Amino acid sequence: MTVETRKAFHTQLEDVREALARLTSSVIEEIPRATNVLLDGDLEGAEYVIRADDAIDARSIELEERTYQLIALQAPVASDLRALVAVAKIVGDVERSADLCVNICKAARRIYRHPLDPKLRGIIAKMGEQAQLLYEAALESYVDNDEAKAAALDDMDSTLDSLQRAMIRAIVECASAGQLDLETAVQLAMVARFYERIGDHAVNMGERVRYVISGWLPEHKGAQRHLSGADDTDELPRFPSAES
Amino acid sequence: MTTLLAFMVGAVLAAVATALWSQQARRRDAIGPDVAGRGTESWSKQAVDALDALPVGVVITTADGEPVVRNRAAHLDRVRHHQVLLDEALDELRHLTLTSGASHDKVLELHGQQSRVLALAVHPLGRGGVIATIIDITERVRLDRIRTDFVANLSHELKTPVAALSVLAETVADLVSAETLDTDERQAVIRLTEKMVAESHRMSASISELLELSRIELEGLPTRVDVDVMSVVCAAVERVRPLADPAGIRVTVRPVEQPVTVCGDPRQLTSALGNLLENAVKYSEPTGEVEIGVVTNDDGVHFSVRDWGMGIPARDLDRIFERFYRVDRARSRDTGGTGLGLAIVRHVATNHAGKVSVTSAEGEGSTFVLMIPHASAASEEER
Repeated sequence: MTVETRKAFHTQLEDVREALARLTSSVIEEIPRATNVLLDGDLEGAEYVIRADDAIDARSIELEERTYQLIALQAPVASDLRALVAVAKIVGDVERSADLCVNICKAARRIYRHPLDPKLRGIIAKMGEQAQLLYEAALESYVDNDEAKAAALDDMDSTLDSLQRAMIRAIVECASAGQLDLETAVQLAMVARFYERIGDHAVNMGERVRYVISGWLPEHKGAQRHLSGADDTDELPRFPSAES
Repeated sequence: MTTLLAFMVGAVLAAVATALWSQQARRRDAIGPDVAGRGTESWSKQAVDALDALPVGVVITTADGEPVVRNRAAHLDRVRHHQVLLDEALDELRHLTLTSGASHDKVLELHGQQSRVLALAVHPLGRGGVIATIIDITERVRLDRIRTDFVANLSHELKTPVAALSVLAETVADLVSAETLDTDERQAVIRLTEKMVAESHRMSASISELLELSRIELEGLPTRVDVDVMSVVCAAVERVRPLADPAGIRVTVRPVEQPVTVCGDPRQLTSALGNLLENAVKYSEPTGEVEIGVVTNDDGVHFSVRDWGMGIPARDLDRIFERFYRVDRARSRDTGGTGLGLAIVRHVATNHAGKVSVTSAEGEGSTFVLMIPHASAASEEER
């Protein structure tokens, strides 16, 4: 029979994990809100999302401080340490995603009363749905400690990346046809980027989940290549060395 | 109103839960805590089954937040973050209830593709814990919104042309009261009277469609004859021709291999299909295309009308069959519709024991499918 040691610490650790799940859930709710604000030109809704960000910031800071306090006072090791380090890292991603929702709302205010082409509206709606879907999967992988789901997030993100490219193409088409002025076109291109970044933050969360479970990080691949001096990547072109 | 209902349900459940909990506690006192244990295992199976059968979510927790029982309806299975937010809201209410000793309630709106509205109420229990009730009021809120929007839309559609007519008539009266009219004034009178004619046509169209809708609603399915499907399709296409041709929109009919008949009212069916085609043409790009298809399945005849126009936002899809509902109010005057066309289609489908459905994506177009069941199926439905 195994006897659980450090019961109080593990309760505190669970509380921190739960607080992060709640914070993430609140931010997931902001994604469809921001999308509706943009598509409906809803100034009141924009104000609501922008104001709500202060509460998200306050909760993020409080959670981060709690995490550092636990690390300092409880001296966790192994998976407990990884779990706490992951919380500290994920909080940053989640808080940044809320900021990106605010940016979408601010863009909505800037392009208020500028009619959007249905094609652009369709892509924006899809980007909003996909970004929310990614974050929901990231949250589920975190709460359930599901490494397989966390690993799938990177592939899911490629859909969002494709949508961003489709959005840029549609913006260029609309602008060329004279249906979009320069300012609106720039704002919409930024909006596409904001959704794409939200997706990236969800992927980061998934990577941290994998780190908690197995200690693996995507950077390990690159670090290994660097240490072994191997040239088995075609991701970046290499300059010829001086000797050759 | 919804909060009051949640409160009343919660109060009744609180009384029942207190009694059940006391009973379970007496049992635990009698047999000892080790045997009775904590959580739902200490509850009789009947009590848990009874709670699970309720359509209202029920969560009973101890004063320090330990769950005692949580019934099936209190689990939001499909969306994880909604469950997390629900638990957070319940925790807040539990804290308030325990601090004040009084009941607390809240309406929780959850967004996203599976958005919902929940009425939450938390009541203190006699033995120190709390009971929370969760009532899904999404449908009720939706119906309230439909009712409010209907009044606003009706008022907009009927009052706007009348207001315009009145202002235009006053201006014309002022102009013609001058003893002599110069050329500019004469032109202004012509322009204003043309607008008056357009507004009266608009008003007349709204009233005609309202009357048609009332007639379809009242008479149900007066005639039941075998109708040649292609004759309905051709009549509907002819009706939309004056709208499609000037815009260069091609209306194509997918060929049908063998003659198809359907049992129903030819006038109502033509009206329904004509309305679907009119919408498809109105919301297509100039020089676009609209395609009509007829497919016969085991369940009935499916008329599909497809366009590659602006499409419908996902959030509007379940509302477009409401009377006077507009996806984009700003465009409603440009397209010239009355906002009743799809309501008529839905009523025709209902009168024929059929249904109408839509799939659409913004910027990609829409497909409406009107399904009219075979004669026997329709008769069964009516019986």
